[in-house]
Amino acid sequence: MSVLLEFLRFAHRAAVAQFTHVPPLQQLVKHTYQASVGSVALLTMLTVFAGLNLSVQSYATFERFGGQDFLGMFAGIGGVRELYPVMAAVVCGARIGANLAAALANMKISEQVEALEVMSIDPLRFLVAPRLWAVSIALPLLCGYADVIGIGASYVGAVYQLGLDGGTFFSQLKQFVHLPDLLVGVFKGLVFGWIVALIACFHGYRAAKRDGAEGVGVATNRAIVHGAVVCIVLNLVMSWALYG
Amino acid sequence: MSGAASLLARVLQPFATVGAISAFFFDVTRTALTSPRYVGETLRIMWILVVRCIIPVGLAVAPVGAVISLQGLEIFRMFGLDRMLSSLLGTAIFREYSPALASVMVAAQAGSSIAARIGTMRVRGQIDALAVMSVDPMRYVVVPGVIACAIVTPLLDVLTNVLGVASGWLFAVPLGGVDHGAFMEHLTAQVTAADLWVGLGKCVLFGTAVGLLAGYLGMKVKGGAEAVGQAANDTVTQTIVLILLVDYVVSMALLGAGL
Repeated sequence: MSVLLEFLRFAHRAAVAQFTHVPPLQQLVKHTYQASVGSVALLTMLTVFAGLNLSVQSYATFERFGGQDFLGMFAGIGGVRELYPVMAAVVCGARIGANLAAALANMKISEQVEALEVMSIDPLRFLVAPRLWAVSIALPLLCGYADVIGIGASYVGAVYQLGLDGGTFFSQLKQFVHLPDLLVGVFKGLVFGWIVALIACFHGYRAAKRDGAEGVGVATNRAIVHGAVVCIVLNLVMSWALYG
Repeated sequence: MSGAASLLARVLQPFATVGAISAFFFDVTRTALTSPRYVGETLRIMWILVVRCIIPVGLAVAPVGAVISLQGLEIFRMFGLDRMLSSLLGTAIFREYSPALASVMVAAQAGSSIAARIGTMRVRGQIDALAVMSVDPMRYVVVPGVIACAIVTPLLDVLTNVLGVASGWLFAVPLGGVDHGAFMEHLTAQVTAADLWVGLGKCVLFGTAVGLLAGYLGMKVKGGAEAVGQAANDTVTQTIVLILLVDYVVSMALLGAGL
């Protein structure tokens, strides 16, 4: 419970630092590049298989009532509204979040953060704010990218493996997946990514010198696990609010 | 010339890794099938895994059932099929989401800590010390981890199946207005024992992969604390990719076999 309070306090300070302070362009570009381009390969692999699987799975389900032509709708709605944003965020947690937590914990353990404080530089502004901005920029982009790759993979799966008609797939997609769905998905990605980055920074920041190298491992692990769980729970809350 | 050589090395690198992991896999299998076995150590790791994973795994899978109900209900309503929702929910949870997500969370929580532990032992020279005492490190450190993961993941999957369907029920029946009788009828009629076994079988496969990759990356650690962290991190990302890949292959195979 006290950890939760500590987190909320940290979140407040970090958000204030983020929104009152626009980081130098050079830092912003560096962190955004690391967060986005560094995750593209992993995210591509994951969404390709997730998209293919979504096709196979909905085919297996809808075939029972002879509704396999609705696969385009199912793959589109399920993917764009739910699966790809969560996936982009969980990947972000496993890669970007882990890197953030490890980097900050390392600085904390080697007392570099205290050194900044001594020089009267606010570490939250200097270290955390640029990273939060970077993730806020990178995640919507990654999420949109995941939508495109995932739907492409679903199409390939539906047409070339399951032998469905490509035109039907696209007309289903156009009829049932609208711009608001895409925007909501990308917005979800933004929110999840921001929260994941915040959790990662929090766990990295909590590491103390006495924890030693093991503290870095603990911070990284917690960043990944807590980030993933929070994303999935938050996804339910947002879907419930938006579609329920 | 050296440019071409390094390009070739980069292209061939994944194949070398796959080969090394396969060799590692055969090594683990051979060691696991011969005595002596460290049953106590395996049980100890299993217990740690259950205690550490049960909450994150439960929290990760339960909302998924609710989301499937939420979105599925909207789609099924268009065709007036909302009574059929539970057959989609049941098969999706039992066959796909519960095994995949439970395994991903086991990889994130347990796999990374197994890799970190083995890596730390490696860095501190404890692995070599074991070998000096003529205790096979493979047998004492790696194999119990792999077996524990392979057994604990399906156990957790049973729990998450229940949680996923329960949360799906919550969002379909009291909140979504589906009739309870129709929900239960389609659940029991459409979800067969085969769905359950497919899910559990996947979990054994994924759990083994988690333990194997954690052991492999942990044993490969060279250098200091940073390499340990890297191994723990790589375990998570690489197992997630592997799980999705295997999941897709298995789904295709099952569809082909008509299961």
